[in-house]
Amino acid sequence: MTSTILTTTGMYPVAVQASGTSYPIDIWGLLIALTMVIVASGLSWLMHLGIGKTLLWSACRALVQLCAMGFIMGYVIKSGNPWLVLILITGMLVAAVQITLSRAKGVPKGLAGPVLLSLVITMLLMISMVTELVIRPHPWYAPQLVVPLTGMLLGNTVSALAVGLSRFYESMKERRNEVDTLLALGATRWEAARPSIISSIRLGLLPTTASLASSGIVTIPGMMAGQVIAGGDPFNAAKYQFVILASIAALTLLADTLIMVMVYRTCFTADDQYRDKPVVEHRKRNR
Amino acid sequence: MSTHLFSARDMTCALPAPEGEKTIFRGLSFDIDAGEIVDLVGPSGSGKSSLLTAFARLNPHAHGTMSLEGRASAEFSPQQWRRMVAYLPQQPVLIGENVADVIRLPWTLAIRNERHADNTDAASQSKSYGRRHHRSIWGSTHSGTDALPDSTIRSTLDAMGCEDIDLARAPHDLSGGQAARVSLARTLLTDPKLLLADEVDAGLDDDNAAKVATILSHAAQRGMAVIRIRHRPPDGVATRTVTLDKGVLR
Repeated sequence: MTSTILTTTGMYPVAVQASGTSYPIDIWGLLIALTMVIVASGLSWLMHLGIGKTLLWSACRALVQLCAMGFIMGYVIKSGNPWLVLILITGMLVAAVQITLSRAKGVPKGLAGPVLLSLVITMLLMISMVTELVIRPHPWYAPQLVVPLTGMLLGNTVSALAVGLSRFYESMKERRNEVDTLLALGATRWEAARPSIISSIRLGLLPTTASLASSGIVTIPGMMAGQVIAGGDPFNAAKYQFVILASIAALTLLADTLIMVMVYRTCFTADDQYRDKPVVEHRKRNR
Repeated sequence: MSTHLFSARDMTCALPAPEGEKTIFRGLSFDIDAGEIVDLVGPSGSGKSSLLTAFARLNPHAHGTMSLEGRASAEFSPQQWRRMVAYLPQQPVLIGENVADVIRLPWTLAIRNERHADNTDAASQSKSYGRRHHRSIWGSTHSGTDALPDSTIRSTLDAMGCEDIDLARAPHDLSGGQAARVSLARTLLTDPKLLLADEVDAGLDDDNAAKVATILSHAAQRGMAVIRIRHRPPDGVATRTVTLDKGVLR
């Protein structure tokens, strides 16, 4: 155990090592940022925008959540214990499922299983491909890589899944007559649902492809910005950022496709009939 | 139960309602032979559409025992059954960029595409049955997208009295009567054994309604069985009329 601690404490992300100076933020910095939000909320109150309360509440929530995450991550990184990494990632996954389901509107109950499965599969791919194949840290579970990468992936897939699921069920409702006509003409449930599946995956992936295309020109994405601010080599940071963006885009598409393949049946009966109210059935062994 | 083209026994339909279930009909029986045109009439809300969608196995709230040419419906996959027992909804839903696309749509589905049908069919016994039937009554002899060229669609539509419908027209530019006839042509070209026509002449002027009736009687002369839900006065095309009222078929 001692040797693990020694190796992990000795290792900072490759990019950060490069050149040196970083500028920490003190408590006044946090207060100034919070004051900006308070002023904005005040403006919103004056202009009757009705968004001030949400803004303020969300900002406070973000501050607490981020500080908590920073504290926990610091602890996990220092301990260098793979089990703590696993527990932390599990907690993030559970929260991701909960947030996905609360954000997705008009979806049937009981989707936690499929959402968790598609998140776990993409997350495992992310860790195995990006961490172990591209970056190859020592030890292999290096918390300062695995945890932030998982967080970035989950952040993206959660919104893609929430948008995709909402759009799918909305589209199936809108296309009711079309679905019935297709079924009457002999379409399978997959053929009848396909247009809704395609449109929901496209919509879910829109922000991801947009951010991929605009990165470097309009925006300096968060991870690259972070490494540069922390004193890392900008070119190295750019390489990191590309690997992350590309893999997140690919895996978000995969997560959205997986979830659609798992849930489109909920709109149909076992006899391939359109269901008014989608139902998640426990899969029977014989079908 | 084997002598008729299509037989249904013990058809029951119950809709979910706030106070439990609302039975629309229970224990209905019905038979139809090839070449027959049966008019299904009755007050609105009596369950005529529910009965037809139940016949096509499209109604999740209905069940019963059905057979086609002596084979139980359970021997068919839902897709194979609906290929033979085709439900034509009252509201034409035309999917595609233009009329030609709309009419080709059924041929893009796996059930009419032999390569895919092999993989998707569950009931092995009914496989050969489901795919045997490729000759269309309108003359097209192959399934598949390539086998339905514009010229075939054109001649089919002309034979149905649809000379006024341009194949390149967008579906939403069609008049109500034209849309109804395109919808009918799409299903007829798939050559079902039994056509379940749900008020396809509702909302049409007399001229268009007469055209639809002529198309259906031609189809029946070639051996198709047709059940029509109608609210118009009898047009002399039907071989018999049955009434569905208060859950009873007379």
